[in-house]
Amino acid sequence: MTLLHPDRSADSPVAIRIDEVSKSFGGTRVLDRVSMTIAPGRLTALLGPSGSGKTTLLRVIAGLERQTGGIVAFDGVDADRLTLRDRRVGFVFQHYALFRHMTVSDNIAFGLRVRPRRERPDRQAIARKVSELLELMQLQGLERRFPAQLSGGQRQRVAIARALAIEPTVLLLDEPFGALDAKVRKDLRRWLREVCERAQVTTVFVTHDQEEALELADGIAIMNRGRIEQSGSPMEVFEDPRTPFVCEFLGNVNRFDCTYGEGYVEVCGAQFPVDWGGRGAGIAYIRAHEFEVVAREHAEGVPAIVDAVHPFGDAVALEVRVEDRPRTVAVSISRELWELGEIRKGDGILVRPNNVRVFRAAS
Amino acid sequence: MSDTPLTAKAPFPPAVIAATTHETPGVRHALTAVALTYLALFLLLPLVMVFAEALRGGLAAYLSALTEPDAVSAIELTLLVAAISVPANMLFGLAAAWAIAKHDFRGKTVLTTLIDLPFSVSPVIAGLIYVLLFGLHGFLGPWLREHDVEIVFAVPGIVLATVFVTLPFVARELIPLMQEQGTADEEAALSLGASGFQTFLRVTLPNVRWALLYGVLLCNARAMGEFGAVSVVSGHIRGYTNTLPLHVEVLYNEYNFVAAFAVASLLASLAIVTLIAKSFLQWWYGDALASGPKR
Amino acid sequence: MVEATALPAPKGTVLPGLGLTLGMTLAYLGLIVLLPLAAVFATAAGMGLDEILRLLMDPRTLAALRVSFATALLAAAINAVAGLVVAWVLVRYDFPLKRLVDGVIDLPFALPTAVAGIALAGLYGPNGWVGAPLAEAGLRVAYTPADIVVALAFIGLPFVVRTVEPVLADLDREYEEAAATLGASRLQVVSRVVMPVLLPPLLTGFALAFARGVGEYGSVIFIAGNLPYLSEVAPLLIVIKLEEYNYAGATTIAAAMLLTSFLMLLVINLLGNWTRRRAGHV
Repeated sequence: MTLLHPDRSADSPVAIRIDEVSKSFGGTRVLDRVSMTIAPGRLTALLGPSGSGKTTLLRVIAGLERQTGGIVAFDGVDADRLTLRDRRVGFVFQHYALFRHMTVSDNIAFGLRVRPRRERPDRQAIARKVSELLELMQLQGLERRFPAQLSGGQRQRVAIARALAIEPTVLLLDEPFGALDAKVRKDLRRWLREVCERAQVTTVFVTHDQEEALELADGIAIMNRGRIEQSGSPMEVFEDPRTPFVCEFLGNVNRFDCTYGEGYVEVCGAQFPVDWGGRGAGIAYIRAHEFEVVAREHAEGVPAIVDAVHPFGDAVALEVRVEDRPRTVAVSISRELWELGEIRKGDGILVRPNNVRVFRAAS
Repeated sequence: MSDTPLTAKAPFPPAVIAATTHETPGVRHALTAVALTYLALFLLLPLVMVFAEALRGGLAAYLSALTEPDAVSAIELTLLVAAISVPANMLFGLAAAWAIAKHDFRGKTVLTTLIDLPFSVSPVIAGLIYVLLFGLHGFLGPWLREHDVEIVFAVPGIVLATVFVTLPFVARELIPLMQEQGTADEEAALSLGASGFQTFLRVTLPNVRWALLYGVLLCNARAMGEFGAVSVVSGHIRGYTNTLPLHVEVLYNEYNFVAAFAVASLLASLAIVTLIAKSFLQWWYGDALASGPKR
Repeated sequence: MVEATALPAPKGTVLPGLGLTLGMTLAYLGLIVLLPLAAVFATAAGMGLDEILRLLMDPRTLAALRVSFATALLAAAINAVAGLVVAWVLVRYDFPLKRLVDGVIDLPFALPTAVAGIALAGLYGPNGWVGAPLAEAGLRVAYTPADIVVALAFIGLPFVVRTVEPVLADLDREYEEAAATLGASRLQVVSRVVMPVLLPPLLTGFALAFARGVGEYGSVIFIAGNLPYLSEVAPLLIVIKLEEYNYAGATTIAAAMLLTSFLMLLVINLLGNWTRRRAGHV
């Protein structure tokens, strides 16, 4: 039973299927045959750097842009056959696009008031709905304010309330935390998760912040240059990145050039098995926390010099210089180990990777 | 759910989705046609008409209308009036903008409103006020006559009326721009040892030069073209107090249409040159002009 | 012992020249604008209220004022509609020679009113290029206030276009997209989301065009026919009274017009403040 959809409680949340969707602006291709399924009732993140096409994909799903090829389907129905009104997407813009000349209440009620007369709820029903949403969004007392008189976080909540008022089939959020400062961001993240769970609505949000996506989403699609590089649960994409791009985009990672042969690859003084035969050049990625650090007098490992220590956080970040590599390697160790080993700038240590992801270098 | 077969894969239906965020092409074309027709009828056609009528009697008649002595003296007077009133209002605009935009004092809003006042006063009233002050039966009339000073129905009156009417042009271009630019540049110059005047000349003036030119351009167009205010104080004395716009009226009322339109075409050319220069300034130096609505 | 506390930091800037420039500004403004304008009210004050009312109630004066205000109101209304359409087309649509068209909008500001007057008379007057065929078809009655409206519609157009244009250009498409995703039809998007934002500049443009129209002289007198009681505007009557050395009559009309101008200015400023307050800066 949901708070927001008493009249739609029989409906299950909507699944979205994106099939070979492309979009070009003029001559530039922004989306290149993108396919993905968005699970009903779940929170999905479109994650990628700026210019990767994630916002365009969101706008195509919303119907604000029309794809140049491919199909978007809502529960198996081709969305091209639906008008914006029939699609009923709740779109939350990055800068919220709250109507400046309307109060908070009027903004939230807008989507209900513009319905054709036959479908329009009566005044009391609208008022009830608005106060319900004001309560859910913790906006009580602000209903008569104008957007200009609200803080950034309040504006965002009004924008979400306005989108939820139309009982959307899907909720789409474009960089929902992009315009907020760091402190507000963290608080709102957890809260947004709660709201989406209570509203039981299929939700897609766009972000360039991997931490945000990993922490918040049920599913993540990582986008790069108009394509989806990989999608899956946060755990899957984090633990098993399938492409060098995903590897570099998620987590604090070090990149090494390497050669492989006879089923083995050697990186940083350690050997790991690889699935492919033959010989060739490869690229290896090692996350900062995937190094073991030991003192010099103990055996195995690559000798390294500590260049910098950043002991600010749950883990301690080290920058170490390995052999003749020009760039320092990022290594992360636990606080206990750091205190135990009394590691300081200039110390000599041994590092040994305990995990590595190897890709064949593009020839 | 997602395994339900997709409906209609082949040709895309007409884009229904754009209909709510944009006008349909039909509406768009209709609105464009209405707007362009309106502009053509009300703005372009009058301009074409001036030149067509001016050349109706042939090139010779056109040139002779522009070179006859009364026309020449009208041209000279118009240039003289602009040569006095434009620099005067330019200096005023710079001084007012420096005071208002770079300093804080009480009554600033009132002062800014007062500067705009001439724009909301009928040109005829602008002429009237000088007649009431300096005319034969005006406040200072008897005293002026005693001392043989002519203001109304003479060149000084025309200059005064023109200065009144064109007073806000430069100031209202400069004030918002200089307010936006703030005082940091000037403070830096002063801290580096420049004098106040050097700061103004080398820092402030270059920062506002395009806006200043823009204001001067508009000011000049109005100064050369002012009709109502000048008409009231001039007395229409041919060859003496007739400016170009007044000369147009005189010729027109004498049913000398070719000559009237010939002289008018001169003023229309001035307007066209002004518009072109103004447009170029906006295209090329739009960022260096004041932001916000252009009047 | 500590000497007197430090002087409070001066408010505003440390730039020199305030005294000089402010002095120049006030002197210039006083001599050119304020003192002469005061002459109107001094003359009016010297006449006494009874005399002013008697002159104001003169039927010809009343008729002239009515003509000026009514035609200015009508022309401003026409300009509000036409100006809105023109601004919309200029901001939202692309078409060939758009920049040229945009530049032409300011023609009424740049073209001397006398030139505009004879050109409009030659086009839309009873014997004009467009006016004569219309008259023959029985669609045009010579020397009516309608001619004045034509002239004032010409003069006032840029006021509306140039106040609406920047606001419309600043209006992010996202507002319309937001309304559309919420289910509004195009008509609802325009009427409920776009128009409320455009209304304040539209009113400002209307007020500016109206104020200008009331005082307009040059472009009107060539086309109006200037028949007393019918198509004679107030500024023309001022000129006629002055030519008769009837300073009192001229001053009465001027004072009445100035008073309304001041009121208009006040309204424009209030509208401006209201706009800024309502719009906030989101």
